[in-house]
Amino acid sequence: MMTATALAPRPAGDKPRPAFSVMTPVRYLFALLIVGVTLAPLLFVILGGFRSNAQINSDPAGLPSPWVFSNYATILASESFWRFLANSTVISVAATALAVGLGSMAAFALSRYRFRGREALYSMFTVGLLFPLGVAILPVYLLLRQLHLLESWVGVALPQAAFALPVTIIILRPFMAAIPTEIEDAAVMDGATRLGFFWRILLPLSRPALVTVSVLAFITSWNGYLLPLLVFNNPANFTVPLGVATFQSQYAQDTASILAFTALSIVPALVFFIFAERHIVGGLTGSVKG
Amino acid sequence: MNTRSIRKYVAVGAVALMSIGALSACSGGDGDSADGTTKLTFWHNGTTEPIQSIWKDAVDEYEKANPDISIEIVPIQNEDIDTKIPLALSSDSPPDIYFSRGGGQLATQVQSGQIADITEYTSDWIGDLGKAAENWAVDGVQHGVPYASQVVGFWYRTDLFAQAGITETPKTLDELNAAVDKLKAAGIAPIAVGGKDRWPDAFYYNTFAVRECGEDVLKKGLADADLSDDCFTKAGQDVIDFIATEPFQDGFNGTPAQQGAGSSAGLVANGGAAMELQGTWHKSVMQGLTDTDLDPLVGWFPFPTVDGGEGDSTATLGGGDGFACTQKHAEECAKFLEFLSNDDIQSKLVESQVVAIPVKEAAASTITDPVMKSVYDFNTDAAYITTYFDVALPTAAGSALNDAVANLFAGKGTADSVAEAVKAAK
Amino acid sequence: MSTTTAVVTPDVTTAAGAPSPQGAPRRRSHLRKRLELALLIAPATILFVTFVFLPLVAAGYYSLFDWNGFGPLVDFVGFDNYAKALGDPLFQGAISHNLFIVVASLVVQLPLSIALALLLNGKIRGRTALRLLVFTPYVLSEAVTAVIWLSLLQPHGVIDGLLEGAGLGGLVQLWLADQNIVMLTLFAVITWKYIGFGIILFLAGLQGVPDELREAASIDGASGWQTTRLIVIPLLAPTIRIWVFLSIIGSLQLFDLVWIMTLGGPAGASTTMASYLIDRGFRRYEFGFGSAVAIILFAICFVFALFYQRFALRRDTQGAITGRVE
Repeated sequence: MMTATALAPRPAGDKPRPAFSVMTPVRYLFALLIVGVTLAPLLFVILGGFRSNAQINSDPAGLPSPWVFSNYATILASESFWRFLANSTVISVAATALAVGLGSMAAFALSRYRFRGREALYSMFTVGLLFPLGVAILPVYLLLRQLHLLESWVGVALPQAAFALPVTIIILRPFMAAIPTEIEDAAVMDGATRLGFFWRILLPLSRPALVTVSVLAFITSWNGYLLPLLVFNNPANFTVPLGVATFQSQYAQDTASILAFTALSIVPALVFFIFAERHIVGGLTGSVKG
Repeated sequence: MNTRSIRKYVAVGAVALMSIGALSACSGGDGDSADGTTKLTFWHNGTTEPIQSIWKDAVDEYEKANPDISIEIVPIQNEDIDTKIPLALSSDSPPDIYFSRGGGQLATQVQSGQIADITEYTSDWIGDLGKAAENWAVDGVQHGVPYASQVVGFWYRTDLFAQAGITETPKTLDELNAAVDKLKAAGIAPIAVGGKDRWPDAFYYNTFAVRECGEDVLKKGLADADLSDDCFTKAGQDVIDFIATEPFQDGFNGTPAQQGAGSSAGLVANGGAAMELQGTWHKSVMQGLTDTDLDPLVGWFPFPTVDGGEGDSTATLGGGDGFACTQKHAEECAKFLEFLSNDDIQSKLVESQVVAIPVKEAAASTITDPVMKSVYDFNTDAAYITTYFDVALPTAAGSALNDAVANLFAGKGTADSVAEAVKAAK
Repeated sequence: MSTTTAVVTPDVTTAAGAPSPQGAPRRRSHLRKRLELALLIAPATILFVTFVFLPLVAAGYYSLFDWNGFGPLVDFVGFDNYAKALGDPLFQGAISHNLFIVVASLVVQLPLSIALALLLNGKIRGRTALRLLVFTPYVLSEAVTAVIWLSLLQPHGVIDGLLEGAGLGGLVQLWLADQNIVMLTLFAVITWKYIGFGIILFLAGLQGVPDELREAASIDGASGWQTTRLIVIPLLAPTIRIWVFLSIIGSLQLFDLVWIMTLGGPAGASTTMASYLIDRGFRRYEFGFGSAVAIILFAICFVFALFYQRFALRRDTQGAITGRVE
């Protein structure tokens, strides 16, 4: 191998020495580009809500002039918007609580108990990974119909929780398994039952992973469109994504209102994301690093 | 607060939520509230003005006159309602009064067991609505009530025709093709079509079939869902030939029919295209998409005749809009529909140009606009009206037909494709 | 990719079984352990079996009938529904559209995500903010994304306006109305939504690539590209595997975007297996047929999962380097 590379200019892709590398401005450029492409559509939506339809039709990509507040105001004052938010919240909280609650119990058993059929049971949950809700939707709908769970938020929360179980268990099991047996032994010797150990020690110790799976389950549930589309016919029961899509279809000529509605529906997701971002990315980082 | 207690509260909270939810789920769907009022749900597809207000005013008036009835109105966009109704009929709580086009579509819905028999509740007054009401009966059992009859023809911009130098409305297919050429020469998109929604495409196939097929062959073919007769193949070929003359606007396969200014209706309303083959509701839809008064600008002519066609030259494609009732509140539904059929509301529908052909003859006298009057007269004088094929056929076959015609519009398929698709869907 | 959620697929076989307390009779502790296990496992298993497996089995049964969803199943047709589906050009097209998204994601989004992650891996100010902003589209629902882009892609809408303003008016297409372009348009929207996720994922993965390795390589004379290709990428393999898995599963069940933006049109040019299923199964009251389509969709997912297992179970070199066990 040659030894002259130390004198050669550093090619792209290498980590630069600190300070004045040729790469740094390139990095900033790309960073700016990516952020721009990512955010521009969202900015368009948010700003579009401040324009009137006439403005939008005459100059699609322009800035609001003058700023119109009535679109946002009307939607914020409308009962249906808040109803959608409430519906989504109820469903997502329930689905998440169920998935994480049941999933952590199952992960505990699958990670720290030895029993026949344990790996088979784990495999059953793993198989569920490749079988997302969208694939099963038709028979799930028929099942809900039989159980008389149509038009009910329970009919959305239960399947969402069930389909969130594989991810939950797969993330939690190694996490729980990695907690040293010494801790468990110590707890047992102090007189705790295994279930007590689970509740009082293991769960608190698993908090980072629990938060990650909760966040993932919550986002998946909140963003669900297909299941609510089929389960809910009464607009009073709609969730946010379903509400946005229906609004768009119904008021197709009122572009400004659609944009305002869409922008407002993004706000909860963004707020939630800002708070949870650490855990989503942190959780992914942790999982990736093993 | 430590993690443990947070978790406890969350768990308790979740359980509490679930219990509340379970309780409400059990008691939900009940149409009667404690104070004795009967609650009805009313689904209609009038999501634009003026029809949305007409229905709302009607409900308000009815509720005032009947304090023990409370009606919840749910307007659903026309393209969504064909997804929503099958789902609703599958559930425990379908709407009590819902939008229905009658025909084979209604017959398919009747199979769900949810549609009510309102024959006895309507026998006194349904005769006033004329022959149209028969389309809302299945095997002699009345399930719904119409509020409008419709025909399909070409709405056109008189100003754009004048601009292109077209002096007379086309009477034959050749004249239509000539008009298309003149419009193209004048730089105007000749015909707008809402290809994205597929049923506007199907109008072309359907009307060509009405021209090519004799009355008996047509009726039998639709009744049996069997389009194997040669005349249907000819109709398919007519569609292919017509598309080949490139009469439509750019991007016609992705244009919606009625949603927004970019729809085919919006195009004609704003002068972006000169003609559209549509039903009688279309005038009102177009007017809703523009601030310009369309009355002096829009005219109507029937689908042109086709050389060698065995159908009567005054026959046309048509149908109607109405409502049907589900089992739970059948009698209340029927009473409400009786109210909706009164002359007053019929006149309102006519005056706002939402409806060109009311089901009550008395309302017809209130038609003032000459164009709407010509449509009404055409309907009266028509030899026979054939229901839109996707409504006349059972739902699966009707959808298959629309899809097959949409494929023709996209350059896929042969003159026989449509008949084959219908056959395969049975 | 078009993904639903993040997942990790380790193959952990550690067990930590607590020994029974000293002195307790074996029988009682054995029974107690059984009860504990039942309490812990049963609820999740019941929920899962009820809503994931039972429907699958039921779909298999329904798929053998011609059934409009109402009344009893009486019209047994055997495998006719499967034959009809697989022989339907529209369904074949749907499968090809899903496959297109799968392949395009692998060929376009994967290298792009890695490249961008590599590029952004350096020390730049505002990294946290960058992470936040780039990740945002991932958090949105597909339905909302569809509504946003439907608005942007309108003829003479924002995208067209921007292109024309930049003097690129010739590039303007009928984004959603042209049969030949619509899948590309949808893929572009999918990329917009998920590229940030990929970048973040690979940035995280790059944390696991020690600087010393790269420096050692460059001291040994390897070029930047060689370092990237021969050291960094293999070390990213577990991350890549995760990304690929999520991407494929997401691509196979694509529905929301299609249903809202194009409804599978024009003329079936953007139909996916899921949109075909909903259209035929629900709108047309063909529940037996729809069930067959669902089984086919599941089978396709299953086949991919099998391939993935094969691919993922290959022993990587990184196990030797980092001591990590797969």
